[in-house]
Amino acid sequence: MDRAMTTIDFFFSFRSPYSYLAAPRAFALARDHGIDVVFRGVMPMAMRGQSVPLAKRLHTLRDVGREATRLGMPFGRIHDPIGDGAVRCLRVSEHAKDVGRVEAFVLGASRAIWAQAVDVADDEGLRGVCEAAGLDWDASRAAIDDPGMAARVDANTEALLGLGQWGVPVFRLGDEVFWGQDRIEDVERALRG
Amino acid sequence: MSLRDRIGRRAVPRLIVALSRIRLPRRVEAAVRRATGRRGRVDLFIAYDDPLSAVAVLGLAERLAVRPVDLIVHPVVARGIEDDPAVDRKRAYAVVDAGRLLARDGVTLSRRASLEPGEVAFLAAWTMQIADPADRAAFAADAMRALWCGSEGPVDRGALATAWAARATHAGPPVDDPAATAGGERRMRRRGLYDTPIAVVHGQWFFAHERLPAIEHRLDELGWTAR
Repeated sequence: MDRAMTTIDFFFSFRSPYSYLAAPRAFALARDHGIDVVFRGVMPMAMRGQSVPLAKRLHTLRDVGREATRLGMPFGRIHDPIGDGAVRCLRVSEHAKDVGRVEAFVLGASRAIWAQAVDVADDEGLRGVCEAAGLDWDASRAAIDDPGMAARVDANTEALLGLGQWGVPVFRLGDEVFWGQDRIEDVERALRG
Repeated sequence: MSLRDRIGRRAVPRLIVALSRIRLPRRVEAAVRRATGRRGRVDLFIAYDDPLSAVAVLGLAERLAVRPVDLIVHPVVARGIEDDPAVDRKRAYAVVDAGRLLARDGVTLSRRASLEPGEVAFLAAWTMQIADPADRAAFAADAMRALWCGSEGPVDRGALATAWAARATHAGPPVDDPAATAGGERRMRRRGLYDTPIAVVHGQWFFAHERLPAIEHRLDELGWTAR
């Protein structure tokens, strides 16, 4: 396998329920295929000037409900993190990458948002998520105010746009880009060659 | 947390998901429909410039052929989110995505570039000239196959006219009437459907190209199982 085929960039938004659905299978690609999955958290679409009409928001909730049932994942006790909640999770996820806890944090935080109605904009809510993922709360809290972490999130978002993509989840494998939680089987097909 | 946040961030999304999981009324309605000898129905909104609509038409035509379910095709020309800044990127990516989705069924997409809506708007008008819904759906499948899986480069109107004549039951040439799709576009907007391909299946709607198994599951759930 050539070098470009040993790494997958996984573009993710904490405000995207489709990203929540994708995350367990995305991280599992590393174990199942012996590759590196590089988590890249991006700013929500609605926070980067792209309008999301009401009809699309309604459809997304209904469709994710059906898909969650199919995948056996809990969904429906929601606390929409748009704004501070999403930004705080993005910055903590960069810190979690540095300390090797990104999978635990991303899975825990997205489940908290989409299935447990945890308010991650609130210190109490986010602290519980961080500690359950094995993160130190003081270090996590510091990451939220760290301009370096904010810059990394901005770079991830720019990288997504640079791929010609707009929504998430997105997977980049070599020169190929795949958009959608239900396209992981195509990623796997590409990995198998 | 403010009351406004509590409602907007929690209560409303939760309610929407909960309501979408209520199945009984539609099951009863489907049972009554079957008991009175009526078939199931899938309304499919498509655009001929959309390769994902080709995936949907071909996939649904095959899957519904073995069920007592009618496929009602509504071709449209105007579609998409108003003022969407990503429209060009979406159109380009749709070609790549459709190629992968068709490959799952062993079908090859022949085009490598998107088509402009105006290039194929005539096909939507021709489709609406066909009175019988089954013939209309069959023509849509024939045309999508010819357009996206059997040709590249400029659109071959002659070949498509031959395909149309084989399905149209009345005499006379096909007519390019731009107003023919107005009804379908109006129905889409009224139902809050903003893009193609969308399948409406007895009260629920799906982006059909990526939810073919979910549509089958929905029909199973309502009792319109494969024969």
